[in-house]
Amino acid sequence: MGEELRTTLVDRLGAIAAKAVAYTLMILFTVMTLYPIFWLVMNSFKSTKEFQVSQLSMPVEPTLSNYVEAWKMGDFALLFPNSILYTVGATLGIVLVSLLAGFAFAKIGSRATKPIYNSFVIGILITAQSLMIPLFLEVNLLGIYNTRIAVLLVYIGTGLPLGVYLATEYIRSIPNALIESARIDGAGFFRIFWKIVLPMAMPVAVTLSILNISNIWNEFALINILVSRTELKSLPLGIYKFSGSLSTDYGKQFAALTIGMIPMLLFYIIFRRQITKGVAAGAVKG
Amino acid sequence: MQTRNRIRVEEGRAYWAMVLPAFLIYLLVMAFPIVLSIVLSVSNYDGGKMFGGDAWGFAGLRSYARVFTDPHFWNALKNNAYIVMISVFGQLPLGFVFAYIIYRKLVKWPGFWQGVLYVPNIISVIVVGLLWQTIFSPNGPIAEVMNSMARAGFQSKLELLFTAHGGFTITDDLVQNILNLAGPAASEWFTNPLPELKELILSYEGAPHAELLGDLCNLFVPKWSPEFLTKPNLAMLPILFVILWMYTGMYLILFLANMQKIDVQIIEAARIDGASEWQVMRFIILPSLSGTIVNSAILAISGSLSSFSLIFAMTGGGPSRVTEILSIYMFNNAFLGRPNLPLANAISLIMVAVSFLLIGLTKAVEKRYGGKED
Repeated sequence: MGEELRTTLVDRLGAIAAKAVAYTLMILFTVMTLYPIFWLVMNSFKSTKEFQVSQLSMPVEPTLSNYVEAWKMGDFALLFPNSILYTVGATLGIVLVSLLAGFAFAKIGSRATKPIYNSFVIGILITAQSLMIPLFLEVNLLGIYNTRIAVLLVYIGTGLPLGVYLATEYIRSIPNALIESARIDGAGFFRIFWKIVLPMAMPVAVTLSILNISNIWNEFALINILVSRTELKSLPLGIYKFSGSLSTDYGKQFAALTIGMIPMLLFYIIFRRQITKGVAAGAVKG
Repeated sequence: MQTRNRIRVEEGRAYWAMVLPAFLIYLLVMAFPIVLSIVLSVSNYDGGKMFGGDAWGFAGLRSYARVFTDPHFWNALKNNAYIVMISVFGQLPLGFVFAYIIYRKLVKWPGFWQGVLYVPNIISVIVVGLLWQTIFSPNGPIAEVMNSMARAGFQSKLELLFTAHGGFTITDDLVQNILNLAGPAASEWFTNPLPELKELILSYEGAPHAELLGDLCNLFVPKWSPEFLTKPNLAMLPILFVILWMYTGMYLILFLANMQKIDVQIIEAARIDGASEWQVMRFIILPSLSGTIVNSAILAISGSLSSFSLIFAMTGGGPSRVTEILSIYMFNNAFLGRPNLPLANAISLIMVAVSFLLIGLTKAVEKRYGGKED
């Protein structure tokens, strides 16, 4: 009896200790994650002068003027629509083109499927950033440097390997009988795609959109070598302007960083579940 | 026969109409650049018009020879390896621990912790890079905390000195002690410290005591400087820290998603049979995640190849090129100073080769673990 009591006691103590350690770790990392972000937003409401006097206290005279000026200096009124266009355009492009190819690979079939499909799968692990320089030379060669079409093409192209892979795997799970019976009823392949495959492939379309929207919205390395004109730039390029010579104008820099951070934070807060699921599904391979 | 043929043709047309958009864009964006960099890496192309401009031609493997003998290349490669290491030995174990804590319900509100720890992933790397650059800078909050601590320490020592010397009576002895306390900072301000400082202190006669103390602190307390940003052998540390800060949440999600695929009954049965929490982790959870762990390591390597933006924003590869990774090294060779495009293309191909190595690795892993991770 005494022995038993002792083991349960040890068990209980061990469980309490484990919980204590678990909570400590979680709280520590949560603070480490959120405090820098909180610090940034808090200081974006201080004048640079007030920031230099005290960085750790709450703003005494909160001001919105940093935002007004950062918005102007960063040309964000131009860059926001661009970012939206690139993100929405390229994401739609990736989803549509991937699903079309996935349908052909999974349900129509041809001798060409194996080599082409495999070439996409290989592409998942090729880091687009390693092709930055040849891509820059290529868009110059094609005369599409400083054009929106170049940005869209490059973003679609870099999103396709994972897109085609996930789409093909998903569409494979759609029963053949559905497609065959539609064929017997005389439906063409594009009609089948619209009426049967597309609605059924919505989950994978959502996953792909989720993965690509945040990637493209935040992308910097490639667009940095594709455009140099302000009218074509995206938000990350505009925010980067606040490094360098503007980086000691802290108030404005912090406002610019906050402006850059908010859209994706909202996106995350709204779609957290889908994002988490999409990351788990998409990262396994790539 | 006729109809079957017609169906064949229709199938073929539909197939290519659906595959070609993807395939052509893919060729244009991924395949053609690789071909282009193969050609240019063995050429003497130096910018300008590729066709119809100055003639350029075959130059052999001299760009590769230059890359492999360039110490900056090996430094960049080493930094890539550091990034892989912080991922494999930092993010992976941490992500695993967090996922385990949540999976085994050691904490309440699982969704909250998971949601918060993933936040840094969603923010643009440019924002993250510039934010941390400021935090680590000599004007940042870390410096402020360190400076105010140093100042408080110095001031209390000063006060002790004054009290020990009987308050505000200025003697040579007191001034000498202050100078000793100040150390090398004193000789920065005075050529002949003892008389000059004494004169300075005497000029405060009548003024509030605190004013003198404050000014002495301003004069002598050394400003804390984030040495790790300027010291070459430490400059990678903040970058590695930020990478750890940013991506641990992603591995948490990966591990958690795969833990949730484990049959709960197995764990419950093991617990009933008397297995300890530790044994459950060691003999059930860890083995069933081996594939995920290897895949995450591969992810870490490909992540190190794509860390351009973060380092570009944080250091740009500086100070004096010590924080370059392969992609920054390539970028700098192509766009800074005298561009060397063949060299940059050779680096590009070396990075692609690393990617192909990864593909081989993945294939081997799939063979070993049955590729069951998806």
